[in-house]
Amino acid sequence: MFQYYFLLGVRSLRRNPVLTALMVLILAIGVAASVSTLTILHVMSGDPIPGKSERLIVPLIDNGPLKGYTPGEREGDEMSYRDAVNLLASGQGDRRTAIRGASGTVEPARKDMPVFTVEGLTPTRDFFAMFEVPFLHGGAWSEADDKAGADVVVLSSKLAEKLFGNANPVGQRVRMFGFDYSVVGVFGKWNPVPRYHRIVGGPGAFGDEDEFYIPFHNAIRHEMGQNGNMNCSSDRGPGYQALLDSECIWIQFWFELHSVADRPQLQAWLDAYASEQRKLGRLQRNAPNKLFNVMEWLEEQKVVGKDSRLSAMLAFGFLILCLVNTIGLLLAKFSVRAPEVGVRRALGASRKEIFTQFLIESAVVGLAGGILGLLLALGALSLIGSISEQIAVTTHMDWMMLLVTFVMSVSAAILAGLLPTWRACQVTPALQLKSQ
Amino acid sequence: MLRMNNLSKVYRTHMIETHALRGFEIDVKQGEFVTVTGPSGSGKTSFLNIAGLLEDFTSGDYVLDGINVKGMDDNARSRLRNEKLGFIFQGFNLIPDLNLFDNVDVPLRYRGFNTAERKERIEDALAKVGLASRMRHFPAELSGGQQQRVAIARALAGSPKLLLADEPTGNLDTQMARGVMELLEEINAEGTTILMVTHDPELAQRTQRNVHIIDGQVSDLVRKSPSLVVAKEA
Repeated sequence: MFQYYFLLGVRSLRRNPVLTALMVLILAIGVAASVSTLTILHVMSGDPIPGKSERLIVPLIDNGPLKGYTPGEREGDEMSYRDAVNLLASGQGDRRTAIRGASGTVEPARKDMPVFTVEGLTPTRDFFAMFEVPFLHGGAWSEADDKAGADVVVLSSKLAEKLFGNANPVGQRVRMFGFDYSVVGVFGKWNPVPRYHRIVGGPGAFGDEDEFYIPFHNAIRHEMGQNGNMNCSSDRGPGYQALLDSECIWIQFWFELHSVADRPQLQAWLDAYASEQRKLGRLQRNAPNKLFNVMEWLEEQKVVGKDSRLSAMLAFGFLILCLVNTIGLLLAKFSVRAPEVGVRRALGASRKEIFTQFLIESAVVGLAGGILGLLLALGALSLIGSISEQIAVTTHMDWMMLLVTFVMSVSAAILAGLLPTWRACQVTPALQLKSQ
Repeated sequence: MLRMNNLSKVYRTHMIETHALRGFEIDVKQGEFVTVTGPSGSGKTSFLNIAGLLEDFTSGDYVLDGINVKGMDDNARSRLRNEKLGFIFQGFNLIPDLNLFDNVDVPLRYRGFNTAERKERIEDALAKVGLASRMRHFPAELSGGQQQRVAIARALAGSPKLLLADEPTGNLDTQMARGVMELLEEINAEGTTILMVTHDPELAQRTQRNVHIIDGQVSDLVRKSPSLVVAKEA
C-alpha cells in the first residue's frame, strides 16, 4: 500500500498547485536555512580524523608563575621548548610530535620567478604518520634526519608545482630561509577541517593549507623565529638559547596512543613528570596536568563558537515557524478532501489507512520541499562561502548532510501533517456521502 | 443476509435526544432486492448507514452475513465493509482526480488483491456496466448516468454480498434512471442482495419487497413474493 499511497501523494501535488507550491516553498526555505547553518556546524564540529581521534592526545602542563594565579586558570595551550623536548624523549605513546610554525622566503632556482614567502610547520617525523598526511611523492624524512635537524623539506603539492612544475621534485633542492633544503616528499591536498593539529598558535581552526614541513630540530638548529603565538609570563634573557631555556610557551605537542586504554598510563606519566619538574623548582602552580583527545581539544578550544550554535538555533526556530505555516496550509488542503475520505471509508478504508495515506501525502510534500530546500541550501552555502576563504572550507555539504536535508524535510512535513491528518481521519463518512 | 433485532439509534446532544431508529427489526434474505421508502426524517438514511457499518447503533443487534457486528472496532468494521458490502450513492461519489480504472480500483486496494487480480476485476466490472472502453477517462468526462454506472462497477468489483444503494437514480433523468435500475435488477438476478433507499414509488413497485419506515420503525411491509419475506413488523 505504501507505493499506492506514495503515488496518490505525488498526484495530490498537482491538485491545488498554488497551495502545493506555497507549502513546498515554505518548507524548502525553512529546511534550507536549517541545513545551511547545520552544515557549517557539522563541518566545524565534525571528527576530522575518525577512528583515531580518541588516540591523538594533546598534553597540557601549566608552567605559569605562581604570582597572580587563580586556580582554574591556565597559562596557555602550548608548552615550553624544554617540556616539548622532554616529552619527545619520554617514549610515551606510540608516536609523539612537537609542532611550531615557521615562515620565510623561498628563492626559486628559476630566474624568472621572484622570491616569495611561505608558511608552514616544523614538526617531528612522527607528525606525518600521526595525522595521516597523504604523500604524492616521496615520504617523511628519516629518523636520522629528524634527530640531526637536517635540511630536508616536505612540500605541499601546490608549492611543489609552483617550484618544479609537474615533475617529481623528490631529490631536488630548494633554497628556503637562506639554506638549501633537499625535497624528500610532496604531500597531496591535506587541510583537515577544522585544522585540529594546529588550532592554537597559528591562523586558527579554519586557516589555509600548510605549504611545507621541515624538521622541528632543523628550525631550532637554524634558530628560526616562531611564526605564531608565543606566551612568555616573565622576562627572558637575550639570545635564542635563552628562549629555549625559558618558560615561554610556543610549541604544540601531540601524543598518539596505541589504544584508548593507554590514556590513564599517559596521565600518570605526565603527573609524575610534572612532579619531578616541581622538584627542580619549576611548575610552581601545581595545577592539574591535562590530556585532551581530538574532539575534547576542539571543544576546549571552542572551535564551534557560540554564534554558530545561535545561528543554528535561530534557523531551527525559523523552521518551526515554517512548520506552523505548513500545518495551516495542510489543514486547508486536507479539509477539502473530506468527501474523498468519506468515500474511501465507505469502500473499506479504516481510520488507520486514511491516516497512513494522508501522512504519506504530507511526506511527499516534504520530499518536494527537501529537493527545493537542498537547492536553496547549496545556493546559501555558496553565498556564505564567497564571503571568505576561511568560511568557505566550512560550507561543503557531505552525503551525511544531504541525507539530513531529506530526513529533516520529510520529518518536518510529517510533523506538520499530523494534525491535518488526524482531522481528516475524524471525518464522518455518512455525513460526507450524503452531503455530496 | 442482514438481520437487525430491536435495534435503536439515538443522536444525543447536551440539550436533546433524537431517536432515529427504535425497536427496529428487519431480516433480509440472500438474493432479495429490497427497497426502503419513507418520508424525510423517518430514519431511512440512519438505517442504511448502520446497515453499511458507516455508523454505530445505540442498542440492539445487527448480524451481517452471520457476523454480529456489535462492539466491532474500526478496523474490523472497515474490513467487513470492504469484503461484504458495496455502496451506490445518489451523488455517485467518484474521486474526481482518479480515472475510471483507478476509481474502481479503490476498494480492491483495501482488499489486498494482487495487481493481476485487481486488473481483471476492474476490467470485468467496467465491462459489465458498458464502460470498458473508457477506463482511462475521468469522471468529469462522463454523463451522470455513466458516472453512476462507474459507481456500480466500483461497488461490484469486490464481489460484495450486499449492495446498498441510497437513491441511486435520484440525480438522473428518467431514461438514465431506467438504465441504472435495469442494471441493478440484472445484478440482483445474478444473486447479489440489494437494499435500496428510494423516494420513487414506481421503483419501489419494481422490487420484490418494500420496507416502509416511519418514525424510525418498520411500519409496513409489501410482500410480493411470500417465500422471500421474513421481516417482522415493529
